[in-house]
Amino acid sequence: MAAYFFQRLLQMIPTLFGVILLVFLLFNWVGGDPAYVLAGKFSNPEDIANIRRQLGLDQPLYIQFGIFLRQVLTFDYGLSWSTQEPVSHIFLTRLGPSIALLLPMLILETLIGIAIALAVAYVRDSWIDRALTLTTTAAMSISLLIYIIVGQYFFAFVLGWFPVQGWANHGQSWVRYAVLPILLGLAVSIAPAIRLYRTFILEEMGQDYVRTARAKGLSEMRVMLVHVLRNASIPIITNVLSSLPGLLIGAFLLERFFSIPGIGREVIMAVERSDFPVIKAITVSVAMATMVFNLLADLAYQWVDPRVKLS
Amino acid sequence: MSERIVSFAKARQAGPKSLASIAWARLCRNPLGLCSLGVVVVFLITILASALGLIAQDWDTQYAVSFAPPCWMGAKLEAIPDEVISVTSQPRSGMLDPIEMYGLKDPLQPVLDQLKDNPLQNASRGAPLLILERSPTLFLGADKWGRSVALKVIKGAETSVLVGIASALLATVIGTLLGAFAGYLGSWVDAFIEWLYGVFTAIPYLLLVFAIAAVLQQKGVFTIILILGLTGWTGVYRLIRAEYLKHKVREYVQAAQAIGASDARRMFVHILPNVSHVILVQLSQQVVNFIKAEVILSFLGFGVPVDVVSWGSILNETPNELILGYSWQLMTCGLAMAILVTAFAMFTDALRDALDPRLKS
Amino acid sequence: MGLCLCAGVRAEALDPPANRVLRIASSTAETTLDPVGIQDLYSAKLASVLFEGVLTYDYLARPAKLVPLLAERMPDITDGGKTWIIHLKKNIRFAPDPAFKGKDRTVQASDLAFTLYRLLDPALHSPFSFLLEGKLLGLDELAKRARESKQPFDYKAKIPGIEVIDEWTLRLRLNAPDANFGHALAQPNLGVIAPEVVAFYGEQIGSHPVGTGPYFVKRWVRGSAMTLDRNPHYRPRPWDFDAGKDPASVKVVEEMRGKMIPAIPRIEIKIIPEAQSAWLAFRRGETDLIDLPSKLSPVALSHGKLNPDLVKQGIQHEIAVEPEIIGNYLNLQDPMVGGMDPAHIALRRAILMSSDDEAMIRVIRKGQAVRLSYPVPPGVLGHDAKYKSMLPYDPVAANALLDGYGFKRAADGFRRQPDGSPLVVRYWRTNEGESRDMEELAKRGIDQLHIRFEGHAVPFPDLLKAERSCQVMMRQFAWIADYPDGDDFMQLFYGPNIHANNVFCFQDAEWDRLYQESVALGPGEKRDQLYQKMARMVEMYGVMKISHARLHHELLQAKVMGFHISTIASVAEWPYLDLR
Repeated sequence: MAAYFFQRLLQMIPTLFGVILLVFLLFNWVGGDPAYVLAGKFSNPEDIANIRRQLGLDQPLYIQFGIFLRQVLTFDYGLSWSTQEPVSHIFLTRLGPSIALLLPMLILETLIGIAIALAVAYVRDSWIDRALTLTTTAAMSISLLIYIIVGQYFFAFVLGWFPVQGWANHGQSWVRYAVLPILLGLAVSIAPAIRLYRTFILEEMGQDYVRTARAKGLSEMRVMLVHVLRNASIPIITNVLSSLPGLLIGAFLLERFFSIPGIGREVIMAVERSDFPVIKAITVSVAMATMVFNLLADLAYQWVDPRVKLS
Repeated sequence: MSERIVSFAKARQAGPKSLASIAWARLCRNPLGLCSLGVVVVFLITILASALGLIAQDWDTQYAVSFAPPCWMGAKLEAIPDEVISVTSQPRSGMLDPIEMYGLKDPLQPVLDQLKDNPLQNASRGAPLLILERSPTLFLGADKWGRSVALKVIKGAETSVLVGIASALLATVIGTLLGAFAGYLGSWVDAFIEWLYGVFTAIPYLLLVFAIAAVLQQKGVFTIILILGLTGWTGVYRLIRAEYLKHKVREYVQAAQAIGASDARRMFVHILPNVSHVILVQLSQQVVNFIKAEVILSFLGFGVPVDVVSWGSILNETPNELILGYSWQLMTCGLAMAILVTAFAMFTDALRDALDPRLKS
Repeated sequence: MGLCLCAGVRAEALDPPANRVLRIASSTAETTLDPVGIQDLYSAKLASVLFEGVLTYDYLARPAKLVPLLAERMPDITDGGKTWIIHLKKNIRFAPDPAFKGKDRTVQASDLAFTLYRLLDPALHSPFSFLLEGKLLGLDELAKRARESKQPFDYKAKIPGIEVIDEWTLRLRLNAPDANFGHALAQPNLGVIAPEVVAFYGEQIGSHPVGTGPYFVKRWVRGSAMTLDRNPHYRPRPWDFDAGKDPASVKVVEEMRGKMIPAIPRIEIKIIPEAQSAWLAFRRGETDLIDLPSKLSPVALSHGKLNPDLVKQGIQHEIAVEPEIIGNYLNLQDPMVGGMDPAHIALRRAILMSSDDEAMIRVIRKGQAVRLSYPVPPGVLGHDAKYKSMLPYDPVAANALLDGYGFKRAADGFRRQPDGSPLVVRYWRTNEGESRDMEELAKRGIDQLHIRFEGHAVPFPDLLKAERSCQVMMRQFAWIADYPDGDDFMQLFYGPNIHANNVFCFQDAEWDRLYQESVALGPGEKRDQLYQKMARMVEMYGVMKISHARLHHELLQAKVMGFHISTIASVAEWPYLDLR
């Protein structure tokens, strides 16, 4: 397994290089020119040229690329062009709220998803099963945008059960602020989770060992909760692990409507302002996190089930 | 139990059947699947009619007053609309201050004088599409410009579904081709495509969208299809590659090789039909995903241009309307989209069940 | 490293009670709090309460009146307007900060000199360097030297334009008399800053604002929330303004007379980007003020007045016209619609006449704008209310004009140029806000002219760049006053400003001559006459049609006292308020 681990690490390097190259080409080459925004209302071409010089944009592309590589390796991306805030500081402060929002959502989604999927698998093919499939599919068909708009309007404004927007990093206030966004995020993500976990569980239930267990006289409940769940948890966990980095950016809708100072919202603002240091830093970091989490998921897979051979 | 014996016997009598007919037969036995298929077909017929210009041609016409409610709700009790306040004097047409007052000479004066003498004849006066009598209510209500919500939703369906289908086709074709090459040819081709896949999946989806949009410059329906297609192939690729890896070593492929079939022939004539059920299901799944993704793209500003309407552009008008108390556009469009997407998704499930080779009797 | 972005010594004072905290929301996040680097309105507002400049605007006086702030009295202007002598108040202390190493620090004339130097430092590339560019003797040369030699700006160099006479007196020498120089001194970008603070924080100066203003930053969660506390070193000023004739001002004066500035000990600010969230927060009492966005106005207002249920809750309502101009323009250098030949002048005028401004105001702005046709808005010196536009909304006349100049319709129904070549109007916009609706409206208008229309939505930085290189054919343009004088608006059309502010790429020798004359004249009746002629020429040549200025509706909870919408958007009203 150690060999596999190192081999995968080695494979990550060309991928990371590819990501850096792609990000660099796309944003430096075709991305918007930040100089005009930074130059302000009364700028003249001399001011523009000055800014581009200050930001290092007048250097040839290969020099800029070299600088970018160095930044990646030292984790030091400098300052944001629009706010002068150190990029590393942006990271440290925005990561917290994003994780505080997504981690509970992910945990709840997994636990509730598994519970419901198990229950449904227990009564598979009954009308409950079909009704639930229909409901989850219908729930999935509604865009997150609509959930947020309607949810915020009804639960926060009309009914007054939650604050309309805002964020606190810890303590009791955090609970107040986090509940509604988490609930709305769950509403969207739980449906596909249930469907997916149901598939995993049903696949497990079709295996020989389940028939054997039943033949040995174990109750259905025991079969499901002890044997099936343990085996189905492998694909479930790997699915959860590998989806975490993608959620970070995807949560931007929630962050935007609820004014949560997270990474997703930050990256969108950076793109709108052509703030390269921030864009590059976040893209490369999320890419690395994705690769690391995928690796962890595969390792977990093999560790839990030694029968699985990773080539 | 007896049903299976009977159908088995029937099958033996009838001779070997194609996968398609078996699948169809299975589908027919799934009431929910048939129902969803029916709903999808109804939508497709409506969309076809819209595309051919038979209905919803005039979706852009301002038939009603701004935010006219649906018929059954009764007209808004609003009095005369507010007068627009001017802080500088606005002239009534034709009563302009003479330019000499400012000590200037108008370069257009000769022609203007001419036009004053000859009252305007000509055909190009052309009646603008102004409906002078604006209706106070419409079937399903109106948007801020007074356009019919019903017509917009139908026309929007045409755009959204066509975008969904086109981009799903694009993504599936790309994913299948890459998966076939990677899975079948192996070695450095596989390594390269795997690397490409790694890079594409590592970059956050949103940023990929922004980047591609920036490269493509042009805005339009075509750009949306490209964005969705170029970012959505990864799932298909993974599956097809696995399938090709599996099939590459099967006997029938080796037999084909023995009789001298080229690599290309083996890939696309022999193996492809056997993985077509996977492709079909993925295609169907992606249509659903992309119809939903178009809504988010519209929110980010990568939606359809102004002279085209899609479900995404409609839904992005709704936050502002809801806060004002106008919910009909949200309800109609939301409901239409929910019904179509649900039906399509249920149909995809039924399709997957029908095509599942493990259930072959 | 400054993970905790708190400026100033953590005060030992207790937190003020909840009813003595002003809660505000902003729809955009702050960028930087280094005065020199600020260009967005929200950061400017913050700077206006954290820093102080030599002059400021009287809170209530309309039209705007400059009054001394850090200066003891208005500057002595001699030498035909070319020499300004500024006398600073003595004993104004900066807010406490570790950079001062525990000592009290009073503002000196050398600090003001440093502040002025800093604005033109090329390394800081200030977006508001225009405030001093070309104004002070020797300053531009210093900046040029730094730029060309690639050496750091020499803050120690002495120049004739800025001379420190003694600890509290500064003499400025201008290149030419400038009636508007006082306005430059009142901008938040010239808030006085201390050299040792800049040296202490280096690159992070934008995160550590240390000024002499009534508030300092107590707590700062970037892009999300901020807490401002009363500056313990601030010498409170008495709230003492004249009401004039405006009845709303009379009420304000009655409420606030005898109080001190600032009356409220703490301000808490939240960033709420979505308009609906901001409105819901206000209705729930989570914020005390809201600048009502026009798209939400039907919720709160009917026929321009507050809804009865809001009135019953004691919600207060202030209206003002924003000192801005908004309208569609056409690029005079564009290959398809540009040019000064009569045919293309006619084309441009016809295009501008196809824009239905009343519909724009009614439907898109929800009625919350006023129709304007003069390039200088109300409230700004040089505005003319009697001016009548020569480009009314008249698609019929526009079509006749096009026919008269040979823009014939081809087989596909669309018009061609007189020489038969294709004719397309390309309308540029960004992706934000109501710009999509504006494009729809523009399209409807141009469809009535039977001209082919293409929309072009691009990200804001790209739009700016294209505009500055004269590549944008048509777009809706907005300009809000930086200072309350008409010159801020007229300079937009000045020929030499092409590739800078003159996005219309308009250049006419006669117009430029009139502009130069107007600058020399300064505000007054003679300049007003010149402005009328210049405004007429802008319309006559089909450059831009001003359509509206938005209404600023400020809604306040019942407990807020003393509010009067400030003249210039970059100056915050917060220090002048109190809570019941």
